[in-house]
Amino acid sequence: MKQDAFSRCHPAVSFLFFILVMLFGVLIQHPAFVLGGICAALSYYLLLTGAKGLKFLLFSLPALILIALLNPLANRSGKTLLFTVFNIPYPLESLVYGTVLSGIFLLMILWCGCCGAVMTSDKFTSLFANLIPALSLLLVMVLRMIPNFMRKGRQITGARMAIGKSVGGDAKYTEKAKNGMLLLSSLTDWALEGSIVTADSMRSRGYGTAKRTSFMQYRFTLRDGILMVLMGFLGAGVIVSMFRGNTAAAFTPLWDVAPLSPFGLGCYLLLLLLPTFLHLKEALTWHILRSGI
Amino acid sequence: MAHFEIRDLSFSHATARGKESLSHVDLTVEKGEYIVLCGRSGSGKTTLLRHLKTVLAPGGKKSGAVLFDGRPLEDIPVGEQAAKIGFVMQDPDDQIVTDKVWHELAFGLESLGVEPRAMRARVAEMACYFGIQDWFHRDVEYLSGGQKQLLNLASVMAMQPEVLILDEPTSQLDPIAASDFLNTVRKINIELGTTVILTEHRLEDIFPYADRAVVMEGGRIIADDVPGNIGAKLWAQKSEMFSAMPAPVRVFYGADQQGSSPLTVRDGRTWLSRSFPEGAAIKALPDVPLPLPGDPPALSLKEVWFRYEKEGADILRGVNAEVPQGCIYGIVGGNGAGKSTALKAIAGIVKPYRGKVKLFGKPIEKHKAAELFHGGLAMLPQDPKSLFAAKTVREELLEMCKDEAKIAAAAENCDILTILESHPYDLSGGEQQRAALAKVLLTEPKLLLLDEPTKGIDGFFKEKLAEILKKLTAAGITVIMVSHDVEFCAKHADLVSMFFDGQILTTDTPRHFFGGNSFYTTAANRMSRHVFSMAVTAEDVVALYRSNREQAQK
Repeated sequence: MKQDAFSRCHPAVSFLFFILVMLFGVLIQHPAFVLGGICAALSYYLLLTGAKGLKFLLFSLPALILIALLNPLANRSGKTLLFTVFNIPYPLESLVYGTVLSGIFLLMILWCGCCGAVMTSDKFTSLFANLIPALSLLLVMVLRMIPNFMRKGRQITGARMAIGKSVGGDAKYTEKAKNGMLLLSSLTDWALEGSIVTADSMRSRGYGTAKRTSFMQYRFTLRDGILMVLMGFLGAGVIVSMFRGNTAAAFTPLWDVAPLSPFGLGCYLLLLLLPTFLHLKEALTWHILRSGI
Repeated sequence: MAHFEIRDLSFSHATARGKESLSHVDLTVEKGEYIVLCGRSGSGKTTLLRHLKTVLAPGGKKSGAVLFDGRPLEDIPVGEQAAKIGFVMQDPDDQIVTDKVWHELAFGLESLGVEPRAMRARVAEMACYFGIQDWFHRDVEYLSGGQKQLLNLASVMAMQPEVLILDEPTSQLDPIAASDFLNTVRKINIELGTTVILTEHRLEDIFPYADRAVVMEGGRIIADDVPGNIGAKLWAQKSEMFSAMPAPVRVFYGADQQGSSPLTVRDGRTWLSRSFPEGAAIKALPDVPLPLPGDPPALSLKEVWFRYEKEGADILRGVNAEVPQGCIYGIVGGNGAGKSTALKAIAGIVKPYRGKVKLFGKPIEKHKAAELFHGGLAMLPQDPKSLFAAKTVREELLEMCKDEAKIAAAAENCDILTILESHPYDLSGGEQQRAALAKVLLTEPKLLLLDEPTKGIDGFFKEKLAEILKKLTAAGITVIMVSHDVEFCAKHADLVSMFFDGQILTTDTPRHFFGGNSFYTTAANRMSRHVFSMAVTAEDVVALYRSNREQAQK
């Protein structure tokens, strides 16, 4: 995985960031916030994933457009009638609402994409290792078991194929179904047998003898602390602005959007652009360092 | 004070109805000793080792005592035992608990509640010592078998144990990875002074370095001495374990010598040179003729090319081979040379994009899957467990065929009549393999493919497998096996091929094939090539030694 400045921060920083931006993303329906959010998220998403990410977005575009266009058919409470389809009214307000909703949907896709790239499984588990140790270990073991299962499954499939017990091919349907069942039972037996060994290996290495500590892969530095405080302030700014009603937006029956508050939007955009800033700052430093040689 | 002291230990499993798996075992292990425990599967080695750690000890009736550092083992808290007694098991995969290399290294320390700062230092230390730093952040899934087992060793060593117990740690590894692993264990013993107790089938790599060898049979210790003297004791007792001794040992006593035996190829060479100062009068055994390709050959491969992905590298790069009917055909070669892929191409599991695979003169794609795998060809997989799906061996066989007479015949052939009612997972490695083989044979193949048939199997079961294979070829079945085990191929194959870089390079009878190689050959050949030519098994060398002696006496 490509690492960038933000993903090198402590997992707690990344985790707080994604919690905040996703929460705000779902709660705030104000068009200016949504649009600004998409721009900020898109910039970081593209920095992280590059051409591959862009391709994925283009594929999801039709679905987004469909959401926008179909919303008026489900929610018909808008007052300004555009036209009727098969006697169903198609109001303008509902179309606008649909567009905003699909914008929020896009925003979530973008943040999930970023989160997937930044919050790798070991960050999640090391983050929760201190908070909920048992859950974290369980997660780690599941992550270990899934590929192990798949490998054994492939091995069994291959082995059974070579004695004519294939689950595919030109055999009878009932025969294939029976072979599939046996494959599954074979896999379960093997997994149970394996889990006894795993349990032995855990007990042999002292599992359950003392209160677990956890190996800290990531150090929490002063820089991480500053970033978290900064995010806290910006987040608080957004929340204040939410309570003041500056982010309120209603679309149907008549659209009613709160006047733009530069303070709230400013806080929001600064928060969202934080990873992009860090990324660009690092790129710039490298550029200067290299041209200095 | 002794490190471990086992006093008159007897044990019977809870399920064994009083049959003892250990009886009156006495063993003392001194600090810093390197002890190898040998014996065929089921001789009680694993049971004995498991009694050296309370959490792993099996349930059952036990008498006698195990003392660790002079204290009864039961009195030592499990946490202390976890740290001081390291235990590495056989299966590289199932022992690993977590998904990342770094986490696995830290797992034991986390369990013991070691303070984070100290833990970082210890993990770092271990990663460096074992050369793991390059794959420290890797997912465990992407490691090779050898790397996985090394990780298991390192994560046990991270707890800084005083004793390291290893239960057949290399049985699932290829020879090169196995020898790397054993070298690391030896390094730990020499550099850190950690006591090592090890069970192992591959004695060639250990015997020269071990301080003591302990041989078990039927739950008893039948020999306990320095490795150089073990062979003499086993030879005198006519023990079946003698066949598991390293080649120099077998040749030495086979040639009626007395005293301490040579353990390494080097010492074996010196001894042979001394025995024949003027060279041997009879250099080679009478030649075995090359089996001629029958008409049609059981299998012919012509210019077979294959790769897994369109953009990927070719795995098979023009394989040519002709396998005569009714012979045992061995394919040897290094890891990743494409041997197993070649086997899959023969079985029709992967489709070559160029070239022809003909089975008994008929192209493989003309065979329907149903007839191909019924009365055509069948493959015994590397891990016999991949074929098991039922509660008893009999049910396994019933899955293939309902005809009781045929099942009885296959069971008889594979010598599994006594274990028909057992659960497949309760069997030893060799028994599991024979059960799987019986299952495969019920498809009545004319061509039998074996993938690493000797992996994880002791010398005794290997001989048994060889007997079965000989019976099959006598009945007209052709056997193709892919193997790392050069000793097995040298002794039992009719033809051996070298697979390298996606091609079959040379094919010859074992004597010519291994006799012509100087690195990739058997220990017996390496030891005797300066005196005899083309003696590839210990039996060959013994036979030549004796006939030379007899001639000298005339």
